[in-house]
Amino acid sequence: MAPPLIALIVATIAISLYNPSFLSAANLGRVASISAIPVLLAVGATFVIIMGSIDLSVQGVIALSAAITAMVLRVDDGALGSVLALGAAVVTGIATGAVSGLLHTLLRIPSFMVTLGMWFVSAGLATLLLGGGTIAVRSADLRVLILQRVFGLPLSVWLVLAIVAFAALMQARSRFGRYVVAIGGNEEIAKLSGLPIRRTRAAVFAIAGGFYGLAAALSVAQLGQGNVDIGDGRLFTTITAVVLGGTSLTGGRGGVLNSVLGVLLVTVLGNGMILMGVPPYLQQAVLGVLIILAVASSTARIREGVYK
Amino acid sequence: MSLKLENVTKTYGPVTALANATIEVHPGEVVGLVGENGAGKSTLMRILAGVVQPSSGAFTIDGEPVRFSGTLDANAAGIGMVYQEQSLILPLSIAENMYLGQERRFTKYGLIDHAAMREAARRNLEKVQLDIDPVRPASELTFAERQMVELAKALTLEERDVERLVILLDEPTSVLEQAEIDVLFARIRALKDRASFIFVSHRLDEVLEISDRIYTMKDGEVVDERPAAGARESDLHEVMVGRVLEHNFYLEDEQEPPQDSVALELRGLGSGRAYRNINLTLHAGEVLGIAGVIGSGREALARAVFGMERPESGEIVIHGKVEGIPDPSVAVRKGLGFVPSERGIEGMVPMLPVSENISLANLDSITGPFGLDRRRETALAREWIERLRIKTPGPAAPIRSLSGGNQQKAVIAKWLNADSRILVLDHPTRGVDVGAKHEVFSLIRELCREGYAILLLADTLAETIGLSHRVLVMRDGEITADIPAPAGDKPSQTRIVEHMV
Amino acid sequence: MKKFYQAALSRRAFLGSAASASVLATMPLVGRVFAQGDAPLLVNSIRSLSNPYHAAWNAGGEAFASRVGLDYVTLVTEGDSEKGVADIRGILARTGGNAVVNVDPNDAADARPIVEACVEAGAHVMTQWNKPDDLHPWDMGPNYVAHMSFNGEQYGRTTAEVLFEAMGGQGGILALGGTLSNTVAIQRRAGLEAALADASGVELLDYQVGDWQSSKAYDIVNTWLTRFSGQFGGIWCANDDMAIGALEALRVNGMSGQVAITGIDGIETAVQAVIDGEMVATVSWDPFWQGSIGLAIPLRARLGEIDPESLGKDKREFYAKGVVVTAENAQAFYEANFVTAPELDVDDIWARYAGPIE
Repeated sequence: MAPPLIALIVATIAISLYNPSFLSAANLGRVASISAIPVLLAVGATFVIIMGSIDLSVQGVIALSAAITAMVLRVDDGALGSVLALGAAVVTGIATGAVSGLLHTLLRIPSFMVTLGMWFVSAGLATLLLGGGTIAVRSADLRVLILQRVFGLPLSVWLVLAIVAFAALMQARSRFGRYVVAIGGNEEIAKLSGLPIRRTRAAVFAIAGGFYGLAAALSVAQLGQGNVDIGDGRLFTTITAVVLGGTSLTGGRGGVLNSVLGVLLVTVLGNGMILMGVPPYLQQAVLGVLIILAVASSTARIREGVYK
Repeated sequence: MSLKLENVTKTYGPVTALANATIEVHPGEVVGLVGENGAGKSTLMRILAGVVQPSSGAFTIDGEPVRFSGTLDANAAGIGMVYQEQSLILPLSIAENMYLGQERRFTKYGLIDHAAMREAARRNLEKVQLDIDPVRPASELTFAERQMVELAKALTLEERDVERLVILLDEPTSVLEQAEIDVLFARIRALKDRASFIFVSHRLDEVLEISDRIYTMKDGEVVDERPAAGARESDLHEVMVGRVLEHNFYLEDEQEPPQDSVALELRGLGSGRAYRNINLTLHAGEVLGIAGVIGSGREALARAVFGMERPESGEIVIHGKVEGIPDPSVAVRKGLGFVPSERGIEGMVPMLPVSENISLANLDSITGPFGLDRRRETALAREWIERLRIKTPGPAAPIRSLSGGNQQKAVIAKWLNADSRILVLDHPTRGVDVGAKHEVFSLIRELCREGYAILLLADTLAETIGLSHRVLVMRDGEITADIPAPAGDKPSQTRIVEHMV
Repeated sequence: MKKFYQAALSRRAFLGSAASASVLATMPLVGRVFAQGDAPLLVNSIRSLSNPYHAAWNAGGEAFASRVGLDYVTLVTEGDSEKGVADIRGILARTGGNAVVNVDPNDAADARPIVEACVEAGAHVMTQWNKPDDLHPWDMGPNYVAHMSFNGEQYGRTTAEVLFEAMGGQGGILALGGTLSNTVAIQRRAGLEAALADASGVELLDYQVGDWQSSKAYDIVNTWLTRFSGQFGGIWCANDDMAIGALEALRVNGMSGQVAITGIDGIETAVQAVIDGEMVATVSWDPFWQGSIGLAIPLRARLGEIDPESLGKDKREFYAKGVVVTAENAQAFYEANFVTAPELDVDDIWARYAGPIE
């Protein structure tokens, strides 16, 4: 976990030297609230990636869950409707992820193919549900998650913090978390040790879907609307954050807290580069270089492990 | 406990991997198991470990018949296996590896009690006298330490409700240094009051040193059983390789003397401890066999000739010119071809058609004015298929659909097509059935007549002697003998073995 | 969107259009009887139905087809150029070229194979938004009837001017652009720059790329609030999605309504925001109109009511007028486009002609 943490600290120092307002309470609060949704997505994807698989369905699941959230809110945008909408988003995400997971394990289709397919299937379903339109939910009670602040931070940030704590505990201390790492580390050995490979694999995709669903509900609350394009651009930033956090794309290494660091690194850099006035075309290049560095350093670590 | 396999047979389709094998393991005993590649050792071990189930025969523990449906069943009966390929999950800690799949024992309220698991792991590490912190990830350990951890992992089975353990050691020493092997043996001896062991190794001296009793396997059968005390390596070797061969199995009648011109010469080639000061001369039209046990350095040497590993010292001389061979692409340009033992991984592209596999190393041969010429490629493939008598539905058939022998011929065709005059054949008959072996032998003879030079690493000693004009014997990285093997005057296996061990 | 999508086909809309049938001079299509098997097929080729813009485009096509009594199909490329071209070829083969095609090419380069296929098959085709610069209707004969687009620079400039006016012609502004290398994004930005050059009291504090996405705009505006706290009075956005992201970022920071925002595209939520006073302007291209006029023009050419060859170059490659939506007309625009069915406006095909494409 050290390299991303060091990078984060270095970035923080560099940016605040250039523009001290970076460290202002208001800006740190903004960094936190901007990070809430990407953190949920990255944590969900982390389990999949530690297992050595990949989940490309992020944006499709967000689209479908957001569509369902908005449709529930259209019927009832009060407190009850908002709670139901939140639940429906999570359930939709879990269901979509479970379908991916079952197709992946039962039909033995590589995860990137299955989830690529599920991306388009769920985006198509969302299009069908919304008829291509946008549902505005600007007055829904669900929006208190974004607009209501407790101790200076939006409720959504506290919610995400609680979920991260739970996920980190699950990863470090539950049998499920152990199995995920074992499968990603070496599936053959995991199988010989009698672990429930298929069940674990399917569950990981379902859980990831649940995270995406919750993120979708927060997106709807944040933008006051639900449409198919609401998740655009999220896949790239999610995988970027997971990799920058030090979770290896080859599986077996990494963790929930790594990914939180990865998201913070991406957000802080994005935030910092704007604060420092870095031109837009350079911002993209900087992220690209960081990804290459992160992947290069993680493969170097693996090599060391094998050849020691 | 006492464990017994009686007349156990395992077949995979038409292939019999294990035939009527009978072995017994008594409490507190170390049983050695030796045999050549493909003799059936691994199958036997896998049956004991519950990985595969026997096709027929009886498997009893203390007289009670048992049937395992998986490794977990074998574990529950007190049988643990230490695999040849290291089976620790590198990112996990030592403790996590030792109790992988057994976490339930340490789980409270859905959470794993790391402290308790660590403590339990430490107790088992003490049994093998390994003083190492069980929270360290397995990736930080040396191979020797990992081997010890695996042994300790097998010993965790004692915590189950079993009286004594049987621990299967599948080539545990292949990656260990001598000092580490001594430690391992000391631990095994110290643990004899807790467990019985089955020890599989290629190194006969090790088997003799650690075992109480030794079974020898050949062609899927257990052919010999004897106490280790008083047995000699050469005795074991004879039982292992000795087989009655039909006359002219290796087509000695077709063996002709090599030409005078030298195709390949190695001068003082060396690379660390793998091989040292290797001098050899390979003539056109000659098969030069290299014999040696695993660890003798012959595989590394063969790979160095083809540029897959770099020698640290010495010269490679091809057709009289000193050549540096930094990587395989240069080797191919200098007229070398390599038929690797891992045919599926290194020798061919399984899903590509036969034609594309043949043209792969020399695309110039099928390049027309408009790039790659499919028609020319197919025609060329047809030529080779006919010339080498490759049995295939046609040039367009995926190479993986061919039988092992025909795959091997197609791989050789690839090199012939690339104008390789010097071929390194690394176990060319591995995984090839007897009939197809004959075809490969016949091809080798034909290539010699046409002046190709062949460096051969054969599957068995008999094959090495039978096919070669000369046999070089390697031991511990050095050439220990250069024995002529002309047709009609082949050296005995014993004579070769003397220099191998 | 579904509201008018269905309404467009309703009896009321149909009667409404039939009522204007008396003006035969401008509307000769109605009542025309085709011999059996002779009726051309109307085809709209668009990116997808998942965005409101193209959904409205499709509704316009359906409404027009229903009015003239012809069969109608929608082809979607789903962002796949090859699929887009192949689908059109398929339709041409099926109809033997008896088709009228209105296409929003997935990529500028796609326009050429599509147009060539149509010309060869004898169908009539019109392109919108994208085409290669060296592909001209007058080089392709009468079957490539026309190319229509909107002047991105002009409307980038118009929204900027409305924005400056809302700020009293004074103060700092921030700008959110579309994807960096995108032609439309470049044009709209050029319009903004032109407006800035003429407005001495307004200063552009920063220009960032929001990739057309509301979530990215939301993140950027949050950061701007740190860097430029209290220094800006307006945010210019190259599209409405980013404008929505910007205004929600202001809302979460308790600054809702304190900063003027403009967008472009005229999506429903943006028009609603103009009504609510949270945005000052957007521009609608009226995709319902694009989906119908793009069929009406080539259909007239096919029926011989206009002769493309005798039209000037200025009428064969032209800009159309967008509708600038501000507080003044937002309510009416909303009613006309999102509450009730939009009226077909195809009787005078040059009613929204803005000028030749330079």
